[in-house]
Amino acid sequence: MSSNALCFGHNHPASGAPCFVQVDAAGLTIIFEFTGGGGDREVVPFAALSVSAGGLDHDHLVVKWTGVQGEQTLYLKDQDAIRAFRQTAPDDLSLHFAQAAELVRQVRQRRRLVWGLALGMFLSTVLGLWFGSDLLVQIAVSRIPVEWEQKLGESAYRDFLAQQEVIKEGPAVAALGEMTQRLTEQIPNNPYKFEVTVVKSDVINAFALPGGHVVVFTGLMKKADSGEEVAGVMSHELNHVLRRHGLERIVKSLGLLTVVTIVLGDQQGLVGMMKQLSVELLTLKFGREQETEADVTGLQLLQRAKIDPSGMIKFFERLSEKDEGRMEWLSTHPMSTARAERLKAELAALPKKSPEPFTFDWKQVQASLGAQPVVAP
Amino acid sequence: MKSEILYPGAFPMVRVELTAGEHIKAESGAMVACSPTIDIESKMEGGFLGALSRKFLTGEKFFFQTLRASRGPGEALLAPTVPGEIVILELDGVNEYMVQKDGFLAGADGIVIESKMQSLSRGLLSGEGFFILKMSGKGTLVLNSFGAIHKIELKPDQEYIVDNSHLVAWSSTTSYNIEKATSGWIASVTSGEGFVCRFRGPGLVYIQSRNPGSFGAWIRQFIPVSE
Repeated sequence: MSSNALCFGHNHPASGAPCFVQVDAAGLTIIFEFTGGGGDREVVPFAALSVSAGGLDHDHLVVKWTGVQGEQTLYLKDQDAIRAFRQTAPDDLSLHFAQAAELVRQVRQRRRLVWGLALGMFLSTVLGLWFGSDLLVQIAVSRIPVEWEQKLGESAYRDFLAQQEVIKEGPAVAALGEMTQRLTEQIPNNPYKFEVTVVKSDVINAFALPGGHVVVFTGLMKKADSGEEVAGVMSHELNHVLRRHGLERIVKSLGLLTVVTIVLGDQQGLVGMMKQLSVELLTLKFGREQETEADVTGLQLLQRAKIDPSGMIKFFERLSEKDEGRMEWLSTHPMSTARAERLKAELAALPKKSPEPFTFDWKQVQASLGAQPVVAP
Repeated sequence: MKSEILYPGAFPMVRVELTAGEHIKAESGAMVACSPTIDIESKMEGGFLGALSRKFLTGEKFFFQTLRASRGPGEALLAPTVPGEIVILELDGVNEYMVQKDGFLAGADGIVIESKMQSLSRGLLSGEGFFILKMSGKGTLVLNSFGAIHKIELKPDQEYIVDNSHLVAWSSTTSYNIEKATSGWIASVTSGEGFVCRFRGPGLVYIQSRNPGSFGAWIRQFIPVSE
């Protein structure tokens, strides 16, 4: 027979006397253990008892009565004993049981609620930082002056051109100039001075640097079937610049702390850091959202400039069909049919405008690049 | 397991006698000396996850030492890290003690050690952290304190107020609330007490006569700063 309860009272030690509680129809039988066998036993009728919940976690059943030894308090934790007590106890005690159980439930609920609230606050802070960081980045980007952006792009541009063969004049440069002219005329309050450079390379690619430098490779021009197709890529790239996507990526990569610093006003230290990052600009990849944004705004810009937007879609579709090793534009601009479909839907939503053709003959432009134009499949 | 406190006072040790085959748990690093019949093993009490939660949640050590008298009876000398008293409690299977994380020194094999989460307010303000050790089971439990150990005996419904960082252990039949030390918030902080625990009996509360946090802050001013 091992103890299942502790009894407190004047005649017991402060730590409580271990005892064994038995429940029967007459009431509680409490048997105290003594070292060396046989102990005291006390029988308490149900009528003399009062019950409540107690203990550190409110998980003890506290039974009180006044016996021959004065006031006695019993702390029961043993589940079997509590169950037996509950089942055998008369109805007038069951109300007290219900109250005690209710108290325990309340304490547990309150504890769960407090922990839940604390956890919720923690999670919402994390989520807030996670999703709010995009907003922070945008605010930070909007605080960086255009001149800095131009300086940054400029140094990256010089680094890049040092190893490239630039085509300075000819029909290709003139054709791109005309495209740029027609597109930029349609940009209201344009803070950027766009400069398009044609680089001799078979790589099918084009990219834009923050501040307005756009680089088009001859490979891309050879691949395109019409001037409208190249203009589509140009429009897409110009919108990366206008939307300051490059800057967004840089600021994001600098980390949250820097972002907060920029938002709070200290932009000085940032210039030096950004200079170091200018090399990384060349390998910069835009996010999917940024690509979509540049696609859609690019399409709208083409529409305003009265350049046939279907050229852009056609070119994208053709790139997605073929996988010809050297199409770098694909690695930074992952093509998917979904992307082309989206653009088609956007185009359908735009008001129809009759396109005005370019003044140059695209076949001649391609011929001047010194290679056979690629025949469309 | 028979135990005896040697050199009671600030720098005590406990001598534990083990019969052949008997084993005890002790805080990692507690063993000072032992008979050659005793093997020292490290054991992750409560399994890997239990040990992990104890390590990260209570700050207790990941491993407990197990001292096993595998080659016949022997004795071991155990000592805590900090200067302070040692107290020996006997658990009879019914009474349970909550022990703050640095309080455990050793326990018989029948002692069950669990990490237990406190309520948020107790965790934040009691000075014991969110997790405390709950000792139950049957056998001898050896606790240590920083400074002397004082036992407070509480009759049913008797209350007592204890500064939160002086707690060592308390029985699970007591309950406590966190309160400001004085009625005002500012006075609570400036009085140097901050928060206190209002214990309510019945049961025992063991407190230590020195506050480790305050001692650490005091001693920091004497530590030379290296360049």
